[in-house]
Amino acid sequence: MADHNDPNAVNSIFSDIDVSAADLYDIFGFPSDDPIGVEKVVIALTFSATPQTGVFDTDMLYRILIAPDRRIARSARDDTSLTGLLTYLEGVKERYLKILKPSEVRVTVDHDNRANLRFIGFPGGSFSASIATNQSVSVQSPGGHQINVFVGGRDDAFFNDLPGFFRSINYAPQFYHVPHTMPDVRELPIPKTFLELEGNDLFNYDPQLPQWGHGLKKELPPGPLIWNGNRFKKDGNGNFRFVYSGQDARAGQNCNAIILELPLTFLTAASDEHRVVNTWGESWVLKAAHKVETIPDDPLWIEHPHVLLDALTLDDELKKYKLVDTDGQAFADAALSEREDNRQLGANNFWLAPHFIKRLGHLGWGFGPSITALGLACAFDHDNSPVSVHRTYSSVLEAFPRVQKILFQELNMPDDSWNPKGLAIPLRRAVDIFIPNVNSIDMDTTGTWPFGRRLEDQVATRFLSTFLDMSASINGRRYHVELLNDPGLWNSAPIEPKTPPNPLKNDKEFLPDFPYLAEPW
Amino acid sequence: MRRIDEEIIALSRAHGPEAITRRVYRLYQKVSIAGDLVALTAVGRAIDDAITLLSNPSDLYLLKAHAAFKLHKLADVHAALLAVSSVYDSDEGRLIRADLDFQHGRYQPAESGYVDVLGYERSWGALARLAHLRGKMGNAPGADCLYEEAEDQLTAKEMRAYAWLEVQRGFLDFAHGRREEARLHYRRADAAYPGYWLVEEHVAELLGAEGRYEEAAGMFERIASTVNRPDLEQAIGELYELAGQDRRAAYWKERALRGYLQSVQRGEVHYYHHLVDYYTDVAEDGAAAVKWAGEDLQLRVNFATQAALAWALYCDRRFSDAVQWIDRALACGVVDPLLDFRASEIYRAAGNEIEARNLREGALNLNPTVAGFHVHH
Repeated sequence: MADHNDPNAVNSIFSDIDVSAADLYDIFGFPSDDPIGVEKVVIALTFSATPQTGVFDTDMLYRILIAPDRRIARSARDDTSLTGLLTYLEGVKERYLKILKPSEVRVTVDHDNRANLRFIGFPGGSFSASIATNQSVSVQSPGGHQINVFVGGRDDAFFNDLPGFFRSINYAPQFYHVPHTMPDVRELPIPKTFLELEGNDLFNYDPQLPQWGHGLKKELPPGPLIWNGNRFKKDGNGNFRFVYSGQDARAGQNCNAIILELPLTFLTAASDEHRVVNTWGESWVLKAAHKVETIPDDPLWIEHPHVLLDALTLDDELKKYKLVDTDGQAFADAALSEREDNRQLGANNFWLAPHFIKRLGHLGWGFGPSITALGLACAFDHDNSPVSVHRTYSSVLEAFPRVQKILFQELNMPDDSWNPKGLAIPLRRAVDIFIPNVNSIDMDTTGTWPFGRRLEDQVATRFLSTFLDMSASINGRRYHVELLNDPGLWNSAPIEPKTPPNPLKNDKEFLPDFPYLAEPW
Repeated sequence: MRRIDEEIIALSRAHGPEAITRRVYRLYQKVSIAGDLVALTAVGRAIDDAITLLSNPSDLYLLKAHAAFKLHKLADVHAALLAVSSVYDSDEGRLIRADLDFQHGRYQPAESGYVDVLGYERSWGALARLAHLRGKMGNAPGADCLYEEAEDQLTAKEMRAYAWLEVQRGFLDFAHGRREEARLHYRRADAAYPGYWLVEEHVAELLGAEGRYEEAAGMFERIASTVNRPDLEQAIGELYELAGQDRRAAYWKERALRGYLQSVQRGEVHYYHHLVDYYTDVAEDGAAAVKWAGEDLQLRVNFATQAALAWALYCDRRFSDAVQWIDRALACGVVDPLLDFRASEIYRAAGNEIEARNLREGALNLNPTVAGFHVHH
């Protein structure tokens, strides 16, 4: 008789699962140039090139959700208190749960590497299309809208010093072999900082090991994984050491991408009013039970993809898949959600607002003093601490006063080029940007971050600028989101290396026309 | 398997803690997929060697606990979990501790352990463990629901795990005499992960139960040709005996006994309970069966080892001792048609006809075909 069960036969902490095709990288979005008078928006969802660049995992389903809306109006009387924040969150929740009904584009790729697209719930009509991958294709909606589509491999459009970011937050798995069974040893309890901390041997740059953190990992040393110092590190010339290198960690690497160029009138029946296109992406992987169902391929579906819409209700289709990843706002996941699987909520991330506030407070105590040490004005209230501090919050009430300015200050733009029509468009604030976790593309702007996200935007550095005090000035100009991207700033700063934190441009030139992302390597 | 072999070779050339950990895991995975317990002992040694190479070998201690569990070395499981506090306190560590509770007959703490971990995350592994426990305690519908929920957690990248769960659901049906339902689950398992020996083993058992002895024996022979499994050889022997092929039956039974005893000579303990079954059902040597049942009981006291000793005592015609041990097995609340059926035989032999009849009726109600062929899992 059976005397013991043994799920261990197949169960383990060591995953056999290769779902890296579900790893979403970025969602870009911006209004495209309008040479023929048809207002269009470009949305590009990028993700891991798995199994290969231009070849797709047939178990995956990708969704690009789109919810056009009016631009948020703001008055001088806006309440920036905690009560005001809660009221704002309630409004967002109400809007996303009850009022906005996002339309969506679903994409799967079959064993012949043909992409099957379903355009669902758009005012311009619902329809499906089967297209070749790795080619720009134009499809037509039932209402006659021309939609440009590309599903295939491209150069990864993200350019960023990822190891630098991980060094800034003392993220051990980038630098050390961290066992799965030691989840507490990921973000170590060391102050987050832009400047190296004196004696922080666990993370400070080692000139003898330049590849450390760039693929090379060390064994975790024994003993407490903490820092006991009390100041920033300085060299013999009195210069701080930057945690960033300015190098592009994604240089020479590819992604797979779904790129759409959609007429605004296809997305909304009120294109004059709905000037903001909110969008986010999701990756879903087929559940095992439904993989078994699909093993005997149904030729009808392969030959006539449109029958799927007739045969299945849409919810039934999604029930066959499991949500893995979401992507809306750059750095909302990596910096604010700590990449937790159970925080992959996309637009529904207003549930996480209390966590965001506490996390922002935690980041502020780290980044804030290092900004101040560089002689820059900081929006975070760190009590003039001379060095970064590791502090966590369990209470929103306690954290909120510290982060209030970061949340509610308007993020200045470097000039007026973002607003080519000169309209009365309010500047964006962190609270508008990160909750909900969507890319809000303002169709009356160029779509540069935070009014969308253009390919050429250095968003990682712009994200860091949210910690600057935007009411301050330097060289007679107000601080702005591009300030930390200015090489001149770093050339005159007491720091080594004298470089902006992240590269200023992508490793390959973007294309002037659709599909805009560069050819793959 | 080829992909795993290639990765093992590649990792053998690589350096660093991740490569060491991953290589040892792949070795473990390879023998797990093959169901090769002899090779698993060697992997256990590789795990021990690797542990000495790492300054933070906590993942390897967890792997060591998994391997020791498969080999029924329960004291080693506990020691591996205790070696690193982060392993002991991890969700996986807590699940294995609950598994240990189950193996030691502490069913309430086992259930609490599974439920506690499920409170944090409804992982398929925790759901499957709870399903097994509930199924053993008589809640077969509840167990099937939990198995189904476990399946719903799995993606298309985990088809082997899905097949494993379908086999559990199929076996739950088989143990209750629902052969067609069992067959459907086994078919789904095969479709999900073709060529999986676990599926073939259960299909062969089903065929045997249906009287298709030679067909079943042929399937077992195919599996046994790729892996050293004396328990399968015993099943082949029993099937050939049922088919009236006595010479073949004798050949396979002899092979099985030789395999069991060689395993014991190597210091392994995981075939103790198979030796009990062998001496009760094949050799009909009650005294030898009692000896091995006692050895197994030294390792773990639970309804299965208690019932095995009771059945061995019955075969040794020590009926009143057998009644005492079967009572202990039944006292935990286990609901198992085969166990009840054997309990009825023990009671009948001890002269308690009423209890014997009640137990027999209960067993037949649960599984009308309980007396048919089955494999000693």
